[in-house]
Amino acid sequence: MTEEDSSAKMSEDVERYLKLNPPCSSSSSSSAVAFANKSGTFKSSSPPCPEHVLENVLESVLQFLTSRCDRNAVSLVCKSWYRVEAQTRFEVFIGNCYSLSPARLTHRFKGLRSIVLKGKPRFADFNLMPPNWGAQFAPWVVATAKAYPWLEKVHLKRMFVTDDDLALLADSFPGFKELTLVCCEGFGTSGIAVVANKCRQLKVLDLVESEVTDDEVDWISCFPEGESPLESLSFDCVESPINFNALEGLVVRSPFLKKLRTNRFVSLEELHRLMVRAPQLTSLGTGSFSPDNAPQGEQLPDYAAAFLACKSIVCLSGFREFRPEYLLAISPVCANLTSLNFSYANISPHMLNPIIRNCHNIRVFWALDSIRDEGLQAVAATCKELRELRIFPFDPREDSEGPVSGVGLQAISEGCRKLESILYFCQRMTNEAVTAMSENCPQLTVFRLCIMGRHRPDHVTGKPMDDGFGAIVKNCKKLTRLAVSGLLTDEAFSYIGEYGKLIRTLSVAFAGNSDKALRYVLEGCPKLQKLEIRDSPFGDAGLRSGMHRYCNMRFVWLSSCVLSLGGCRDVAQALPNVVVEVFGSDGDDDDDTVTGDYVETLYLYRSLDGPRKDAPKFVTIL
Amino acid sequence: MEGYSRNGEISPKLLDLMIPQERRNWFHDEKNSVFKTEEKKLELKLGPPGEEDDDESMIRHMKKEPKDKSILSLAGKYFSPSSTKTTSHKRTAPGPVVGWPPVRSFRKNLASGSSSKLGNDSTTSNGVTLKNQKCDDAAKTTEPKRQGGMFVKINMYGVPIGRKVDLSAHNSYEQLSFTVDKLFRGLLAAQRDFPSSIEDEKPITGLLDGNGEYTLTYEDNEGDKMLVGDVPWQMFVSSVKRLRVIKTSEISSALTYGNGKQEKMRR
Repeated sequence: MTEEDSSAKMSEDVERYLKLNPPCSSSSSSSAVAFANKSGTFKSSSPPCPEHVLENVLESVLQFLTSRCDRNAVSLVCKSWYRVEAQTRFEVFIGNCYSLSPARLTHRFKGLRSIVLKGKPRFADFNLMPPNWGAQFAPWVVATAKAYPWLEKVHLKRMFVTDDDLALLADSFPGFKELTLVCCEGFGTSGIAVVANKCRQLKVLDLVESEVTDDEVDWISCFPEGESPLESLSFDCVESPINFNALEGLVVRSPFLKKLRTNRFVSLEELHRLMVRAPQLTSLGTGSFSPDNAPQGEQLPDYAAAFLACKSIVCLSGFREFRPEYLLAISPVCANLTSLNFSYANISPHMLNPIIRNCHNIRVFWALDSIRDEGLQAVAATCKELRELRIFPFDPREDSEGPVSGVGLQAISEGCRKLESILYFCQRMTNEAVTAMSENCPQLTVFRLCIMGRHRPDHVTGKPMDDGFGAIVKNCKKLTRLAVSGLLTDEAFSYIGEYGKLIRTLSVAFAGNSDKALRYVLEGCPKLQKLEIRDSPFGDAGLRSGMHRYCNMRFVWLSSCVLSLGGCRDVAQALPNVVVEVFGSDGDDDDDTVTGDYVETLYLYRSLDGPRKDAPKFVTIL
Repeated sequence: MEGYSRNGEISPKLLDLMIPQERRNWFHDEKNSVFKTEEKKLELKLGPPGEEDDDESMIRHMKKEPKDKSILSLAGKYFSPSSTKTTSHKRTAPGPVVGWPPVRSFRKNLASGSSSKLGNDSTTSNGVTLKNQKCDDAAKTTEPKRQGGMFVKINMYGVPIGRKVDLSAHNSYEQLSFTVDKLFRGLLAAQRDFPSSIEDEKPITGLLDGNGEYTLTYEDNEGDKMLVGDVPWQMFVSSVKRLRVIKTSEISSALTYGNGKQEKMRR
C-alpha cells in the first residue's frame, strides 16, 4: 500500500467513526461526556478524566483502522497510543518468524484473532536451503494457544508445521475459522484430519502448494456431520487419493461453500457431480479434468451443462491431466471469468483460442509457455482487463525449446494496458520488447522476467539486457517488485538504484560484474526490504555498502557469491540487531560444509530478540 | 557467456584447486601455489595452447582469489568456467544448476507426464487411473517428502570435484547413467595424462553392467555399499543416500570396505 493509499484509508476510517458518533453542537468537553456515556464508562455530570476519555475515543477510532502500516504509525505516537493500539489490534502480520520471539508477540498484543506468519525465504523453494533449517510453527502455536483462546485465523507461508502442531491448534481454539497453509511442509493428512474434525466452526481450509504426506487417512470423512460452515476448501496440492463419496457428502451439506479446489485424483465425472451439488460455487479447481477409464456406452455427463448451471464461477484452475476434447466444456463460464489458471495444462495455441476469445473479463491469467507467442497474441487481443499474467515453462531446463519470446511479451504489452503484475519465463528476450512493455504498461508494480539460459544477451542485438530493465525501472513508476535475468552488467544495477525508488523486493541471479552493482542497489533503493541474490560476483565490499540499511530490511540472501567469513562477521559485529546466518547447501556435517573462509550462503535479517535458539548444526550464526 | 569477468584465468586455477578436500582454507593455499608456479607451468590446462603462463600472470591470478575461490564450490553444483571457454562449441553446456530455473518442484516433470511434446493431446492415460490406488509409477514423480528435488552427492574415482544429481528428475537407471556421463566426462578428461584435446573425451559407458572402465555404486540408508541397478528403480531411489563411480577393477574391495555386512555381487 502506498502512503497516499494508507492515509486516504485513514481518513476514510475517521470519517466513518464520525458518522457513527456525530459530535454535539456544544463544546468539545460535553461531546466527550456524551461519548463516555455511550461507551458506558460513567455518567457523572463532572467531566471525566481527559486521559480516560482520550483512550476511549482512541479505542473506538482504532477499531476501524485495519491497515498495519497505519497501526504501526499510531503505535509510535506516544505510550498511551501504543497501549491502546496494542489492545485493539486483532490481526498481526509477521513477515519473518525469526524477527521476534513468540513471547514478545503475546506480551504486546492481548486480543489477537488472526495471525499471518512467514518463515523461510523464497529461495528455499528452489533447493538452495538445506532441509530442517527451521521456521517451525511449534513454538508459535504453543505460545498463542495459551495467549489467544479466541484465535480465529492462522495463515502460514513457508513454515514447518507438524501434525502435532495442527492437533494443538485444533484443540486450543474453539472458535477457529480459517487455516491457510502456503508452501508449508512437515505435516500430513492425519494433521488435516484432526483440524477437519475438531474445528467445528471451520470456514476456510486452504492448502496451497504445500507438501502433504500421505498418511492414508480419510481426512474428508473426518469433517463432522450436519451442516458445515465451510466456505473454502482447497486441497489441489494434496498428492493422495480422497474418498470421493465423502467429499460429495460434504459439499452437499456445505451451503456456504464458494471455493472448492480439488486435487488431480478427482476425475471429470466426479467434478461434474460436485458441480451439480454446488451451483453456488465462485471458484473451482477442476482436479484432473480427465475422465475415469469409464465404461463406454453409458450416457456421458453433459459437462457443458454443468458449467452453464454454475453461473457464479469466476475463477477456474486445475486441469491437471486434462483431455483437450473436454476443454470446451468450460465455455459457458468464460465470459464471467476473472481468473483462469491453466498452468498445469499443456495447452496449445489451437486449444487456447476458442476459449480465450470469450474471456473478456479476465484479470488474472496463468498458463504454460505451451500457448506460445501465438497464444499470448490471442490473450492480448481479447483480455483488455488483464492485471496479472504468469507464464511458466512447460520444460524448465536451460536448453529447452523456448516457445515464448519478446514477440509474446510485446503483444501483451500492446493489448493489455492495465497490466500490473507479470511473471514470464522464456529462453530468449530482447531489450526492445522489455522496453515496449515499460512504455505500454505504466501500471506495472511487479515485473519478473526469467530468461532461463544464464547470461543470455538480447538475442537480436547481442547486447546485455541492461537497457530493457533500465527502461522498466525508469518508466514503471509504481514498481515495487523486480526480478532480473539474462546478461546484465553493473550498469543495469545503476539504473535500478537510480530509478527504483519504490522497489521493495529484488531478485537477482547470475548477474552483474562487481560489487558496484550491489552498492548501487543498497545505496539507491530506499524502500528495499527483501533482497535475494544468487550466483553473482558480489563480495565483502558490496555487503559492507549496505550496513546502514540492514536494520531496516526484512532480509538479505546472498548465495554462491564471493563472500568471506570475515566480511560477514564484520556485519554481524557492527549490527547487533541483525542476525547473520551462514551455511552451506548441504545439510550434513561432512567435508562439504563451510570449513574455510568461503561463505556459500548468507542469510541476514533484523531481529528484536537476538539469534534463534533452534538453529541446526549446519547453520553458523555469527 | 560473457557475463563473468572470469574466463581464461580460471584454467590454471582449476588445477591449483585439486587439493584434498579437508584443506579448503583458500588463503593458505594461495601462498603454496605461488611457490609452485614452475610446476604449474608444466601442467595441463583446460584452455587452448598459448595461454599466458608467466609468474606475473599467476600472481595476478592469485589476487583474483576471491572470485576464483567461488568457482570450486560452484563446481560442486555446476561446472561452469572452463566449459565457457568458447574454444569448444562441441563441449556440452554447463551441467544443471541447483534450483535453476527457479521453478518449484511440483511444476516440474510436466514434460515427462502425459504428453512429452508441447501442446500435444494427452493420449496416454498416465495418472488418470490413479484414483483409490497407491500410485507408484513414474508419472507420479519420485517426489520426496522434502520439498524440492532429490539431490544426492556423487563422486568419481580420480575426480576431486564432487557433483550432485537430482534423482527426482530421473526415471530410470539409463537416464541416470547418461547424466553421470554428462557430469563427469569433461572433468575426467581433464585429469588424464595424455595431451588430448577436448574432442577426444571418451564417453563414460558401461556403468551399470560391469563392462565399462567404471561402475556406478551407491550407499544406502543403512550405510551399505551396493552396485547400482539390481533393485527396481523406485526402491533404489527411496534408499539411496549417495553415489560413487568407482573403477570396475576395484569393485570387490570398494564394496567390502566399510560394509561389514553382505557384499552384493552381480551374477
